[in-house]
Amino acid sequence: MLPAELTSAAFRSYPPQARRLAESQLPLLHRLPLVLVPIVLRELIAYDWKFPAERRRLENQFGYLAALSNAEFVERLASFRSLSLNPQLEALDWVNHPGEFMEQLTAWLWSAHQMEFFRATAGAYEQAISAAFPDPTPAMPRLGIVVIGRGIERWGQPLFRKLKPFGVRLTAVRAEGGLEVLLAEAARRAASQAPVHADQISFKHWYIDGGVPLPAPNLHQVSYAQLSESRALLLERTQRAIASGSMGPENLRSLLARLNPSEIGLSDMPADAVLSRFQLSLLTEGSGTQIFATTFVQWAARECLRRAQPETLLVRYAPRQQAQTMNAMLSGAKAELDPVGSLIDADLGAYYTWLNMSRLSGGEHQRFLVWFEGHPDAIAIGPGLPRSTSSDSPMNMQQVLKLLA
Amino acid sequence: MAQRQSWNRRQFLRNVVGTSAAGSLCGFSPLRAMQMPRRQKVVVVTFGGGARDEETFAPEGQENIPVMLGELIPQGTFFTQVVNHGILGHYVATASLATGAYETLNNFASTPPENPTVFEYFRRDLKRPAQDAWVVAPSNGFNRIGSSDRRGYGPGLGAEVVLPKQLLAAAMAGRSGADYEHLLRDNYETPLFAPSTDGSAFDLHRTSEVLKLSLDDFFAHAKSLESPDELSVFIAKRLMNEVAPSLLWITLHDIDIAHSGAYSLYLDGIRRSDRLCGEIWRAIQGSPEYKDRTTMFILPDFGRDSDGNPAGNGFQHHRTGDALSRTTWMMVLGPGVRQNAVVDRAIDSLDLLPTLGALMGFSPTFAKGRRLGEVL
Repeated sequence: MLPAELTSAAFRSYPPQARRLAESQLPLLHRLPLVLVPIVLRELIAYDWKFPAERRRLENQFGYLAALSNAEFVERLASFRSLSLNPQLEALDWVNHPGEFMEQLTAWLWSAHQMEFFRATAGAYEQAISAAFPDPTPAMPRLGIVVIGRGIERWGQPLFRKLKPFGVRLTAVRAEGGLEVLLAEAARRAASQAPVHADQISFKHWYIDGGVPLPAPNLHQVSYAQLSESRALLLERTQRAIASGSMGPENLRSLLARLNPSEIGLSDMPADAVLSRFQLSLLTEGSGTQIFATTFVQWAARECLRRAQPETLLVRYAPRQQAQTMNAMLSGAKAELDPVGSLIDADLGAYYTWLNMSRLSGGEHQRFLVWFEGHPDAIAIGPGLPRSTSSDSPMNMQQVLKLLA
Repeated sequence: MAQRQSWNRRQFLRNVVGTSAAGSLCGFSPLRAMQMPRRQKVVVVTFGGGARDEETFAPEGQENIPVMLGELIPQGTFFTQVVNHGILGHYVATASLATGAYETLNNFASTPPENPTVFEYFRRDLKRPAQDAWVVAPSNGFNRIGSSDRRGYGPGLGAEVVLPKQLLAAAMAGRSGADYEHLLRDNYETPLFAPSTDGSAFDLHRTSEVLKLSLDDFFAHAKSLESPDELSVFIAKRLMNEVAPSLLWITLHDIDIAHSGAYSLYLDGIRRSDRLCGEIWRAIQGSPEYKDRTTMFILPDFGRDSDGNPAGNGFQHHRTGDALSRTTWMMVLGPGVRQNAVVDRAIDSLDLLPTLGALMGFSPTFAKGRRLGEVL
């Protein structure tokens, strides 16, 4: 099928809000090149479970395209139209399974040596939309806190090597009660923006933990420990699919993409739908998130920043299991923990979280803290704080937060 | 970006090992011209799972590659900019290196390359027996890398392929494998996909005979090894001792644990690969069959994503197709190869095969790359 042949009936299996949006944009979808429609629909089909920031971006895309004159419309999408596509792509059910279309398209673009051109085209398209509809400035400066190194008593190697050029290295932080202070600060920020009605939830304040989470009122929580049953169910399904002998990685990915949250034990209550879908995506789209707590935390933070654009993000790493054979890890076999390796993972993960937060609007005003849990070592980055410096002044965690204020 | 990377690698090397300046290679004349050593042998080592400069040649990464920096680079010629323009999947990229043409096969399928491989050219043109060309490779997919289906070439002219993990799995049949399972890690490219290591169809008996290795000896040694790549190098060294093939291709894979997202395990993989490259080179130097007539090529099949590309997730994958994920390096060591030298010009991954052809005396008719005059 080609985009011009789309009718409202094509969207009948879409969730209600997605269906309404698709139907309202039908004239626009008719005019888009085939390669672009499934890309748009992949976002649209999940509209009901998207974060507000993602919904806004999708609506901006429609707004951008609708505002173009005919000549501009043709010119801006010419590069997409110039891609040579495998005719078999047209035969796919890209309305109901746009993700599978994307899998096939990706393979085709690689094999036809068009991937670089496609990426350049898509990048220019996204930039044009962002220029026309920039992301709003956050209501309060973004605050990122990453807590690393749980379970390590002594450590003699350098930490924060990648972040050091951007902030102040603190070497005399009083650790007592530090975590509680950080959680309280995150909760305070969330409370200051608490929604009046349930439909005003903004998903702006988050807490991600690699182990068992601590109480954190007002924050949206995701944790590796709380998802243990879901991970086990997912790995069981994966093992079954592999054991069937007929499933390659692409098919497996498609199978996972079709899972519903309830199939791996996540809540399917409407009030939980957005968070459940997010958790499902972390386990089905992330690589290694099912087996390593450190990978889970890093990926969850990345996806949270990219998708929800939070104003507060508190991330706490916990030790991951030691590496075993992939088969053993997929089967959920118990293994010893690897706190030292986990600290190295988390140190880089903190840098990636800072990078990803810096990409959001208002990045120049963001505040960022990484703390080696239970130890006097931290690094603070923020406007007004000198770079590439260190301070050995004793301070408690509240004073550290004041530095960032 | 790729050029800047090349310059960076040059600077890093100059600072650490004092490699010669680019000018010394401008307009140089070949050291050996047509006087190829008799019975030339070649060992190619590829990394399935590239490593970035931050973790290798950049100042902060040099602690991870002491052998390459301290021992190998001073003895060889280093190409700072090897660009892979093909599909960035390990099997398809390694197949492309072996055919000198960008293959488009499904990275996860058990499919032979479309174009003739280096092994077929070598054996056909030089009329070499099957046991003179060997591949030691990770098991996923690589079992078909020894030959193409191209008319006039094909399996009858291909390499012997040994997949150590498959060998171990076959040998383990019916035994308790708890002590060996760490050597069976497989396919990190999609961590949710773990192909079974079924060794039932594997000709274990024949391979054991070739390697002159009893199952008990194999087990005893395997138990002392740390990773799949160590198993591969153990097998490769055994092949060198017992068969002494003229063309030996070894694909290491431990670094690709990076796909699991655990940075410390990725660093472990780099350090191990560094050490194993040194072991292979020392095995060459210690073997009367190889010493002074073997050229060794070491190269990752491609790079990994940069931290700065928001489409990727840093070291974890090689999906963005950006310059860093496409640009890597190559090291060449052996008799007649200029020592402690750096080549800055951009070369193509496909240039490997025509260079091997020129070195060994075969004609890779379907290969697309160009000979690298700097090492011929």
